[in-house]
Amino acid sequence: MPAKRPAKREPVIPNGVLGMMIFIFTEIMFFSGLISAHTIVKSQAAGQMWPPYGQPRLPIEETALNSLALLVSGMVLVFTWFAFKRDPGQARIPLLLSIILGSIFVGFQGAEWAALLADGLTMQSSSYGGFFYLIVGSHAVHAVGALLALLWTYDRLNKDELRSSQLATVSAFWYFVVLVWPILYWQVYL
Amino acid sequence: MRAVFVVVLALSLVVLLPEAAWACPVCFDSSDENRQAFIATTVFLSLLPLGMVAGAGLYVRKRSRDLTDESSNSESLD
Repeated sequence: MPAKRPAKREPVIPNGVLGMMIFIFTEIMFFSGLISAHTIVKSQAAGQMWPPYGQPRLPIEETALNSLALLVSGMVLVFTWFAFKRDPGQARIPLLLSIILGSIFVGFQGAEWAALLADGLTMQSSSYGGFFYLIVGSHAVHAVGALLALLWTYDRLNKDELRSSQLATVSAFWYFVVLVWPILYWQVYL
Repeated sequence: MRAVFVVVLALSLVVLLPEAAWACPVCFDSSDENRQAFIATTVFLSLLPLGMVAGAGLYVRKRSRDLTDESSNSESLD
């Protein structure tokens, strides 16, 4: 009598999601290092004046509105997940909306950078400028990478080749980009 | 024994010579804001990885238990 093979068990966490979780852990430590360095340099500012004298002020209100677009994009991606679970075809519109909102955020940040550079805030102008471009720039690189991954997801969804584990993996990365932003905004802009 | 001696010595320094205990070779000035920033970021960066690893461990344990319950329920239905 042949031995009974044990039933194949579902992995506790899909491999892609586990890999993305480990990557996100390293990214959290990376941004924490930047925030810590920023906090210490800010505490050493001459006369506790931050931003330093003569440096342009950051557009707090405009960026707050832009941050809203990013947060809504993250919320729409949650709806995308539930729509995908019901019927993959229903996930197309929310996924596209999420990509558009994310693109608006990245586009506005690019325009903000151009305006600040024109106002004289550069990497070399002060540690304030250096930290601004380093922290916000690092986030922008992640946002662009995550948007490309979302576009790849959308392409696979249109071809009916998207698996739920793939959507979960890419979504985890986008949630990281969305959730780390309010902390960076609070640290850098306020 | 040696470890106990080191701990007692460190605690004595903190209690008896607080200024010497706070001495920091990488702090650029002794201002209160700067010192607080160093302490806060040291605590933050020390606890964050531990918290993340603990959180991930708890999540994996919960998921594993849920899957075990699901599979035992489906077996009992069979």
